[in-house]
Amino acid sequence: MRAMIIDDSRAMRSILRRIVTGLDFETTEAEHGQAALDQMNAGVVPDVCLVDWNMPVMDGYTFITQVRANPEWRDVTLMMVTTESEQRQIVRALAAGAHEYVIKPFTADAIEEKLELLGLLGADREVPA
Amino acid sequence: MNVLTFFDTAPDEVDAPSVDDVQALAEDVWMALVGEDEVLVPRMVPPRTPFDATGVWSSSVTVSGGWAGVVTVELDEGVAQQLSARMLALPDDEPVTDGDIADAVGELVNMVGGNVKSLMPGPSVLSLPAVAAGRAAFASDVTEVCRLDLAWRGGPVRICIHVPS
Repeated sequence: MRAMIIDDSRAMRSILRRIVTGLDFETTEAEHGQAALDQMNAGVVPDVCLVDWNMPVMDGYTFITQVRANPEWRDVTLMMVTTESEQRQIVRALAAGAHEYVIKPFTADAIEEKLELLGLLGADREVPA
Repeated sequence: MNVLTFFDTAPDEVDAPSVDDVQALAEDVWMALVGEDEVLVPRMVPPRTPFDATGVWSSSVTVSGGWAGVVTVELDEGVAQQLSARMLALPDDEPVTDGDIADAVGELVNMVGGNVKSLMPGPSVLSLPAVAAGRAAFASDVTEVCRLDLAWRGGPVRICIHVPS
């Protein structure tokens, strides 16, 4: 499985990278939505994108609408990971095509749980006793 | 010194989250960023006492809309360096650059500010974070309505909320 981590903070990308690589994901990173779209247009299409909302150049909401507008990317799972916690923002993101929504601060367990709900954790993955 | 003033209009009434709420969210944010083994410790600091760090990193985000305010986080330089190294998982022998600190402290204030926003009436919009080395100064048309003094690894951390006067 491949995850693309889209966040303008290197520190947050580092935290998320450690979590998802620990779940056997390969990762790529982008510092804003446009950089992520550029990678996807160049052929780097992940299985799941972990997307911040507030970013310069292109925010996460716009990124989601752009991804959903391209039928070739319909299989890409989109998970918002953001401090935006207003109900209307969550509804907006889900209506635009996000599959899941995680509010910062989060725990590694919360990310794992969401990825599992989305069916993105390998069935053959070892489960700790 | 950085002068921060962000408001176009003042809200009809001043409203602010409680110190207890801010402390709870700060602890949650800190735990998510550095882990559960080292917690923030409350400090008793008299009102109007300047932030007592020798070197300081300051950061802020602005909330506009249903509630208007500025959330600031000030960190002792040593705290900022250690926090950044921890968040970026830097090896012990790798120096922490100003860019590393600006990035990590920016994410910290983004998370604190976003959670403060969630406590207040909306809808509202959170700005991108501003981060600077040094103390932040405020324009005279804002009032501090909440201040929380904390410590991590012995170094001071201050979280403040300002609203339009």
